[in-house]
Amino acid sequence: MAWYDEDSWLTQALSPKLSTIVITLAIAIFLPILLHSFLYRKAASATGLPTFLLVGPSGGGKTAFTTLTERGTVPTTHPSTTPLSIEALLPDPHVPASSHYRSPGDPAFERSRRFIILDTPGHGKLRNYATSTLADPGNVRGIIFVVDAAAIDEEAGLNEAAEYLHDVLLSLQKRYTNATTSKGPKEIPVLIAANKMDLFTALPASSVKTKLEKAISEVRNNRAKALRDAGAALSGGDEVDEEKEWLGEGGEGSFEFDEMREIGTAVDIVGGNVCQGKNSGDVAGWWSWIGEHL
Amino acid sequence: MLDTFEIVTASGIVLWSRTYVPVGAHVINSLIRDVFIEEHTLPQSEDSGSKPTYKKDGYTVKWTQAKDLGLVFVAVYQSLVHLTWIDKLLDNVRALFVGLYGEQLKTELSSVVNCDRFGSYFDRQMQELEGQSDSSAPGIKITTPDSSIDNDSAEESGPAAGLQKPPQRALFDTSADSTPVQTPDTSRPTTPASRILAGKARPAGARMSRRDRKKASGSPAPASSGDEASAKRKGKSAKKNRTWGELGAEEEDGDMVLDYSQSDIRGGAAEVEQLEEIHQDTWGRKTTRGEFVLKDLDEEMDAIIQEQNAKKDTAAAAAATAAAGGIVGSSLGAIGGYFRNVVGGKTLTKEDLAKSLKAMEEHLLRKNVAREAAVRLCESVERDLVGMKTPSFTTIESTLRTSMEKALTRILTPTSSLDLLREISTINSSRSRPYVLSIVGVNGVGKSTNLSKIAFFLLQNHHRVLIAAADTFRSGAVEQLRVHVRNLQELSKREGGSVDLFEKGYGKDAANIAADAVVYAEKHHFNVVLIDTAGRRHNDQRLMSSLEKFGKLANPDKILMVGEALVGTDSVAQARNFNASFGAGRKLDGFIISKTDTVGDMVGTLVSMVHATGIPVVFLGTGQHYSDLRNLNVGVITRLLMS
Ligand SMILES: Nc1nc2c(ncn2[C@@H]2O[C@H](COP(=O)(O)OP(=O)(O)OP(=O)(O)O)[C@@H](O)[C@H]2O)c(=O)[nH]1
Ligand SMILES: [Mg+2]
Repeated sequence: MAWYDEDSWLTQALSPKLSTIVITLAIAIFLPILLHSFLYRKAASATGLPTFLLVGPSGGGKTAFTTLTERGTVPTTHPSTTPLSIEALLPDPHVPASSHYRSPGDPAFERSRRFIILDTPGHGKLRNYATSTLADPGNVRGIIFVVDAAAIDEEAGLNEAAEYLHDVLLSLQKRYTNATTSKGPKEIPVLIAANKMDLFTALPASSVKTKLEKAISEVRNNRAKALRDAGAALSGGDEVDEEKEWLGEGGEGSFEFDEMREIGTAVDIVGGNVCQGKNSGDVAGWWSWIGEHL
Repeated sequence: MLDTFEIVTASGIVLWSRTYVPVGAHVINSLIRDVFIEEHTLPQSEDSGSKPTYKKDGYTVKWTQAKDLGLVFVAVYQSLVHLTWIDKLLDNVRALFVGLYGEQLKTELSSVVNCDRFGSYFDRQMQELEGQSDSSAPGIKITTPDSSIDNDSAEESGPAAGLQKPPQRALFDTSADSTPVQTPDTSRPTTPASRILAGKARPAGARMSRRDRKKASGSPAPASSGDEASAKRKGKSAKKNRTWGELGAEEEDGDMVLDYSQSDIRGGAAEVEQLEEIHQDTWGRKTTRGEFVLKDLDEEMDAIIQEQNAKKDTAAAAAATAAAGGIVGSSLGAIGGYFRNVVGGKTLTKEDLAKSLKAMEEHLLRKNVAREAAVRLCESVERDLVGMKTPSFTTIESTLRTSMEKALTRILTPTSSLDLLREISTINSSRSRPYVLSIVGVNGVGKSTNLSKIAFFLLQNHHRVLIAAADTFRSGAVEQLRVHVRNLQELSKREGGSVDLFEKGYGKDAANIAADAVVYAEKHHFNVVLIDTAGRRHNDQRLMSSLEKFGKLANPDKILMVGEALVGTDSVAQARNFNASFGAGRKLDGFIISKTDTVGDMVGTLVSMVHATGIPVVFLGTGQHYSDLRNLNVGVITRLLMS
């Protein structure tokens, strides 16, 4: 049967028949809808919601805080190997700053309580998840640096935390200084969540702050003295005008978190404990911080 | 006995766990750290029969993964006991859990999986498998009905069992919210609770079995799955008789209901639920109810496990038919496969990956990665990807690329930071002995040059450095160092700090010279000692064995090995042998990779050495000048390797 025959499929497809018209119409209508739903089903649900990024050394309690915020209980947790984002509602007594004057029944109020927590692995080898998000923050409204206030008491724990926090702050600063608009990019505040306050050995939030500031000054000094990294040398770039970047103004003397205000990053330190033995503990301070920036 | 069973997500949340004997969280923590993150211990492939094992603190840990859902199923037991059925348990529990909660797990932006009910499934599996391994147990069950109830029934089986079981459970069950059924103070039949359980269990079972059948009928390989099914059913019917024997009348009803659930009527679930209500009222017998629920569980469990197995079979069969099938079938399959390859959403199998992996391996070899390291990297990426779905609009190749980039980044990134200056200042402030760093390596890789570069770096930071010439073997070595030191002294006038050479000529024992140098440095207030050692072939037994004595006597704070970027396949053996040469309890602390400026983007040696030993690269030598020493930049290296 040749294509020009009376009842070949090609002839039928071009003839003014009802079935042909119906099929064509159906394709014309449903194809875009199908494509749309296929492409946007995933993306649509996640876009727009404000995100809070959880970073910090391994074992700080990031995952524990994530689950506490999501479901109100704390299951057993182990070191994370992949990032996790969850959608949560700001727990009850806390009110998003953006809707202070809205009444609780208002749908806009309910909507404003929704946010996303992005939990990242804290193990030294897996921090690239966090750093890549920091380089391109998107919807990130704030960064919560969870640190074990008991581990801070020891040299190794303090250094690890300080180094990580230094890198986080430095990448925020880079983002600010590299911004092309004259106004500077959206401000991203940082909360240092001093966790595990229930432990006997935990330091109070104020001394966590001073210890971290001191350790970060040291990190900053050492970074200034350290060797350059191999980036430019290996990729054949010009090493001479590759300037090292310091954290804070000038990069001299002792570091204080207040220096970060210059680059649009307010740093707060609030103590808390995600769990108390098997029960959930007290993190109201962190939630109200989230509320303030929601 | 099994001590603990946990189901953990990749993000570290324990979804469900059962603890028989408490095991510290550190056992599973270090499993995750050592095996999944740092990859110290490589698990053997799952195909090799048994599940991978990991040993820690007298415990044996076995696990299996459900990759696409990011789940790890972990069983922990004492290494002293030998449990043969753990593999089977892991497999069954995985199939069950994935079948029951797979949909919930896929929910975006949520980590909550409501799996309180999983406990009863798990207990049934445990009983079955333990029963199989212990042949005496079933005999007892058959002869005495009491004990059979006691063993087989769920919590609501009756007052007698109710008194025994629940307290035990409350103790064992660690999942945060336990079902109300588990409250121990039930002196009378807990019918309402069981109704909840049954009411929920039934529709789920009905749905499962329907889907299962659909799967089986649509499956291109019904023979194999059918076989399995019938075998399973035989085993089941035997048990059915046992448990239902004492209540013959109910047995019929029970079967009727079960048959009903099998029938393929739409909305069957609701009707079944209704029917249950009636039965509930008319029978009202707790034992019956208990047994009923139980049997339901068994059926449901089998259905789910079969479904999961069938899925696997289907995939395998599809691959087989695609390979052997007719023109139409294969071309359709090929088009579909091609389409999915372009659009994404394809579940990756070994066969899909084989070609791209081969290409990736070739690519790595071209970048001067040693064959052994390249093969193992590809294997680890394959382990990572088999069973995964490709994301939308990504081809296999790009998925593989991303995964390889991730693997390389993970390997090259050190676990803890390597800040030489801070280490020196910490150690100097805590004791009077200077900081001792020594450098080892094969001949001609640039040990002395890199030692001088480090010395220059330390001078820039105003340290007082003593260089010890412990190469008493090769003629000219001491003179070479003397020239370096003279240059450095010249430079130190400008840069600050001070440097001197400690030498004792040739032929003496290197270890003694090194020890003397440390004493000398302490007396003359040097705060850093750098020890140059003789170059040695890593397969020269005699010279290598002297390194152990050297390590003991000089006791360096840091031992760095210099490796040439130019070296190819040999790098793996070099790194391994040097790492092992310092005896038990002492390892290398890092590598310096020299001459990286001469290899362009063929920086594979880094990967080979780090991969062979798990020891990080600390410095890169990038040129002829004293200032040509660089820190490692993982991002750049990865980019060069993948380019
Ligand atoms: N005592 C006490 N323990 C806590 C607290 N918060 C968390 N933990 C415990 O700290 C351990 C580590 O918590 P995770 O949430 O897994 O730590 P993480 O920050 O997610 O760690 P990574 O995923 O490896 O980065 C868990 O065993 C928690 O139970 C707390 O407030 N008090
Ligand atoms: Mg975590």
